[in-house]
Amino acid sequence: MNPLSATAVGKRYRTRWALRECSFAVPEGKVVALVGPNGAGKSTLLRMAAGLVRPTTGELRTFDTPTDGRTHPDVSFLAQDRPLYRDLTVRELTRACAAMNDRWSADRVREVLGLLAGVDRDAKVDTLSAGARTQVAIAMALGRLPRLLLLDEPLSDLDPLARDETLRIIMTEVADRGTTVVVSSHLLSDLREVCDHLLLVDGGRVQVDGDIEEVLAEHRVLVGPVADESAVGGTLISATRTGRQSTLLLRGAGRAPEGWAGTEPDLESLVMGYLRASRERRLR
Amino acid sequence: MIWVSWRRQRPQLITLLAVLVVGAGAVVLLRSNMVDTINSLQLNGCVTRVGPECLEGSRAGDFRGAWTTELNLGQAAILALPALIGVFIGAPLFARELEQGTHVLAFTQSVSRTRWMSSKLVVALAPALVVLIALQSLVSWWLSAAGLLGPRSSGSFHFLNFGIEHASPVAHALFAFALGTFVGVVSRRTLVAMTVTLSAFTVVRFALSDVVGRLVPTQRLEVAAGESLAESRGGNLAVESGWLDAAGQRVSTDRADALAQACKTTAAGVRRTQEEWLACLPRSGLAKQYATFVPEGHAWQVHLVDASIFGGLAVLLLAGTAWVLRRQS
Repeated sequence: MNPLSATAVGKRYRTRWALRECSFAVPEGKVVALVGPNGAGKSTLLRMAAGLVRPTTGELRTFDTPTDGRTHPDVSFLAQDRPLYRDLTVRELTRACAAMNDRWSADRVREVLGLLAGVDRDAKVDTLSAGARTQVAIAMALGRLPRLLLLDEPLSDLDPLARDETLRIIMTEVADRGTTVVVSSHLLSDLREVCDHLLLVDGGRVQVDGDIEEVLAEHRVLVGPVADESAVGGTLISATRTGRQSTLLLRGAGRAPEGWAGTEPDLESLVMGYLRASRERRLR
Repeated sequence: MIWVSWRRQRPQLITLLAVLVVGAGAVVLLRSNMVDTINSLQLNGCVTRVGPECLEGSRAGDFRGAWTTELNLGQAAILALPALIGVFIGAPLFARELEQGTHVLAFTQSVSRTRWMSSKLVVALAPALVVLIALQSLVSWWLSAAGLLGPRSSGSFHFLNFGIEHASPVAHALFAFALGTFVGVVSRRTLVAMTVTLSAFTVVRFALSDVVGRLVPTQRLEVAAGESLAESRGGNLAVESGWLDAAGQRVSTDRADALAQACKTTAAGVRRTQEEWLACLPRSGLAKQYATFVPEGHAWQVHLVDASIFGGLAVLLLAGTAWVLRRQS
């Protein structure tokens, strides 16, 4: 049973398709990096998984239950704008969230709020820093004891220290409870530390879906002469050509031919390669 | 869930409580001052019946001069309260959540949208209605102390009297509140919801105030030309009046005016006296005058019609609110 699976999911806003024909399955216990440019449909996908948005076509299932305008009891969602009752204190907010849930762990919330810098529980949510607010929002999400945690840009607006703290909260959750996590972010270097699965969405479609190690091993970055690319095998994903040399991102390239230097790409250059390619496709 | 709604609604509830306390205090104080004035002017008899000394004379005049404005303000307050409930409690209830995105917090917890919505509705609406009914009763108690010396003398159907009696204020408040929530979920903007609610409520309220009286059985009075229709007036609600021909058919207003005008002079152009004029009318086809009206004693029927129209609209709007929220993403 996959925590999250999509079958030909599409979502149309008026005339624009935010997602089209998306099919994938998230394996249990994985930490999935959901990456893509702005407007790729990442937020739509997460909101759909949280039961907030209904798919126009296809079906999205959380724990084998179609999301039908309701959040699955085992799913927690951290929205991008961190919706919290800002006129309440942290303590009151905790009480409110506990009252709105059938299953709730006050201990878990206390634990997360007490982690690292800690959050003043009698402060109004409004007065907290962006980092502390994200920490509170994550604490509320974890209080539901989820088996699937959906995080929409959990690291945006955070300073490096808060970013590190937030990542550590997520890693602790995964280590303690084996929670499956889907996290969307632009900060690829940060994601690399916590994620083991990649889901690359662009133009409303899934471009890459797989274990990060495997995906990286499948790809090669080849640097070589501009003149002759005939010896290069595999599928060309993207290429940057300057006056002197070409840098190619290839899938299933095998060994580097004579005159070319081959390396395994890191996550950042892999994602960059795909995004550059899809932008060029759109511009063409 | 009730606690969450209560905590979210706390500022409005405290304001409501303050309105109740201040309003009740003001009414109690004003009423006791007014009763003192009535006693000192020896007008006690005029409260329950209209004697000659109550209509003219300096004492009744003094009293009216001193208290009419205050009493009318008390009535206006009850008349305005439903609109205020709609604008300040109904409109922001969901609009604020949608505007700030906090509905997402509620929608991603275990509580169902329906339960979330109904608990918010109950916590916001019930205290508002309690305060409204309390203040309505207090103002009514104050008005009865003035009796026929006060605004009650203009009859149950007077706009200020009708709007604050019986079930009407509660029905108007329900309607304003439901209108506010509906506009709120559709517009998703607090300020827009508040303004639209105020204008729409005012328009509907005025538009329907003339209509409700026509929806209850009326009584009809027919008199010969020149006789008085006074019996149909007074505190009653006049619905229609005009002329009938010898066959008992209604004569159109234009035609009746023309005929009455024609009777004022003879064929030779000589001006007729009043008696001659009255005698001329039946001959030209204006046999009788009639008036239909709702007697003041039947005001409760009009109140019931009023309450069911506004209550029905409120139910429709609340259903619309629920429908929009269910589809909300």
